[in-house]
Amino acid sequence: MTASPRPTPSAQQPRSRIPGSGLAKGLAVTLRTMTRKSHTAHYPDAQPALPPRTRGVIGLFEENCTVCMLCARECPDWCIYIDSHKETVPPAAPGGRERSRNVLDRFAIDFALCMYCGICIEVCPFDALFWSPEFEYAETDIRELTHERDKLREWMWTVPAPPALDPRAEEPKEVAAARKAAEKLAAAQEQAGRPPAEGEDA
Amino acid sequence: MNDALDVALRLLVVFAVFLVFPLLIGQTEHKVMAHMQGRVGPMYAGGFHGWAQLVADGVKFAQKEDVVPAGADRRIFQLAPAVALLPYLLVLVAIPIGPGEGAVGQVIDAGIFFVLAVMGVGVLGSLMAGWASANKFSLLGGLRTAAQLLAYELPMLLAAASVAMAAGTVSLVGILDAFEWWWLPWQIVGALVFFVAGLAELQRPPFDMPVADSEIIFGAYTEYTGLRFALFLLAEYAGIVILCGLTAVLFLGGWHGPFGADGLGWVWTLLKTAVLAFIVIWLRVSYPRMREDQLQKLAWTTLVPLALAQIALTGVVKVVIQS
Amino acid sequence: MTLAAALAHAPVAATGEQGFLSPTGVEIAFLLVGLATFGAAVVTVTSKQLVHAALWLVVALGGIAVEYLLLTAEFIAWVQVLIYVGSVVVLLLFGLMLTKAPIGRSPDADSGNRWAALAVAVAAAAALVWVVVDAFRTTWIDLDGPAQGSTRVSGEIIFRHWVLPFEALSVLLLAALVGAIVLSRRNAKDPEGKR
Repeated sequence: MTASPRPTPSAQQPRSRIPGSGLAKGLAVTLRTMTRKSHTAHYPDAQPALPPRTRGVIGLFEENCTVCMLCARECPDWCIYIDSHKETVPPAAPGGRERSRNVLDRFAIDFALCMYCGICIEVCPFDALFWSPEFEYAETDIRELTHERDKLREWMWTVPAPPALDPRAEEPKEVAAARKAAEKLAAAQEQAGRPPAEGEDA
Repeated sequence: MNDALDVALRLLVVFAVFLVFPLLIGQTEHKVMAHMQGRVGPMYAGGFHGWAQLVADGVKFAQKEDVVPAGADRRIFQLAPAVALLPYLLVLVAIPIGPGEGAVGQVIDAGIFFVLAVMGVGVLGSLMAGWASANKFSLLGGLRTAAQLLAYELPMLLAAASVAMAAGTVSLVGILDAFEWWWLPWQIVGALVFFVAGLAELQRPPFDMPVADSEIIFGAYTEYTGLRFALFLLAEYAGIVILCGLTAVLFLGGWHGPFGADGLGWVWTLLKTAVLAFIVIWLRVSYPRMREDQLQKLAWTTLVPLALAQIALTGVVKVVIQS
Repeated sequence: MTLAAALAHAPVAATGEQGFLSPTGVEIAFLLVGLATFGAAVVTVTSKQLVHAALWLVVALGGIAVEYLLLTAEFIAWVQVLIYVGSVVVLLLFGLMLTKAPIGRSPDADSGNRWAALAVAVAAAAALVWVVVDAFRTTWIDLDGPAQGSTRVSGEIIFRHWVLPFEALSVLLLAALVGAIVLSRRNAKDPEGKR
């Protein structure tokens, strides 16, 4: 025991004089708590009010994925499974080279292994992975916790929009690039005299 | 024939009380403890605020495998829950809940002694369980149970003896007949000693050192599963019923009440018992577990002298009144 | 054991107009409980399993309490249960648990004094039986009348007619208490005395 042999006066001060008052205080605390409203969240009956940026599960925006495999490699417990194949794309301009492109066949995250560290989301260079506030994906079999790309894509709809930029901020590069591409396309189509096709949004 | 029917009916009522009241207290404990901790407790079983939670628990216990450890002393291990539970059933027979001889299972001449003696036997169940489980935690639990029983039996007896002196009888019915309202302040110290010692004998928190889960898992009941474990739990709650009923009868005047004591005496008894049971739960929620040496110190240096002082006071007042 | 044996003999010894050739139900119950008690007592001293012996002792002591009840001595019966079953046996079990009593047979749970002990037991039983039979030869407890062993009667007998033995016994207990305190106290030189 390392207690000092003589307690300091300040330590003795808060002790009350009446014996048993501490016991009564303990009883009073519990009794008061009983008369108050409980703090229980009645979850299945009432949905919890979660902050919008809650990190519930990882959603995949597969249109952005280039199968660079960075997420799978950086994952500390190797819970991301990616299959892909190469496709050759005919040259954009006549006489050009054929290009090869990765096509995603399978993207699955084993949420029985995932520890929600979010490293995959951090490392993704193409913004294909996002935190979703969704949390109700319990399964009765641990093997079914490996969720495939369709489920991950569905969760993408629950991802809230990114926070608005500061007023008069510079336009983000991705948006600017997409806008320029769309404008170019629209101009080309106008020249060709055809109705404009649906533009893509970033 | 009529007598046999009467006896059978009484036993049936006692048995029903024995099965229902512990469950009621258990359910109350679920809810009261939850609300005292800012929770709501069971909400689903049975539909309305989880009223059937303990029934569901019972069904669960009945489904579980009844495991006897390989190294255990099989027969004693299996016998122990019955030894722990049956004494409380016997005690319940002797507790009067209303005026007259119609409101008690069986009038027993030496009621106090019967009740305390049989209650003490129940602890043998814990000892048997602790020894027969072939588990060091069980053994430690058994040892602590025995030490606690030896320490708290004495103040409990002395406090009960004080009431018996005041009433001039050891029959529970007789004590209630002799009760006056001013016994309440007169015997208040004895009541406190009796209640605290009873709590300790039941191993209820803050005196739950024999089953301290953070140290010795669950004491003597560590190796028990399924129904036998449920019987031990039932014994604990039956013990609360008995202790609260006894305290109400001995110290709080049982069926005596400020009004309506003629037809509704049993309501007063039940009300007092319920309030005491609430206090038992309240104490469990409010106080942390006492250490083994604190337990022994409380018994020998506080409760025993207090009980002796109460007996002295009772004797003096009794002599003064009679002279 | 000896007490049980003595008690089992008591009603049989009393003859007279009651006649033990046509026993009543209570007498039969008394004899049967006495036999069971005797059996439990024999198992207690012959069992090689220490804790089993202690538990058989519970059965024997409980049997004696039932005998008291049958003799209408309700108070004595409950005190018997309270003191012996509730406290003495618990203390016994407490001690046994401290000694690491094994589950199963204790090979060394035997004594070289076995025959001497038997001789002493038989002698004590004989003496008690003889005394009891001699003292209560013609006494017969009237089970139907007012209880002769009730709390009131016992109290009056103890505190009116037998006060001196009672006080002598209490002095003996006091001496034992003082002795226990003296033995458990360490010397003043050793401040860390165990309790």
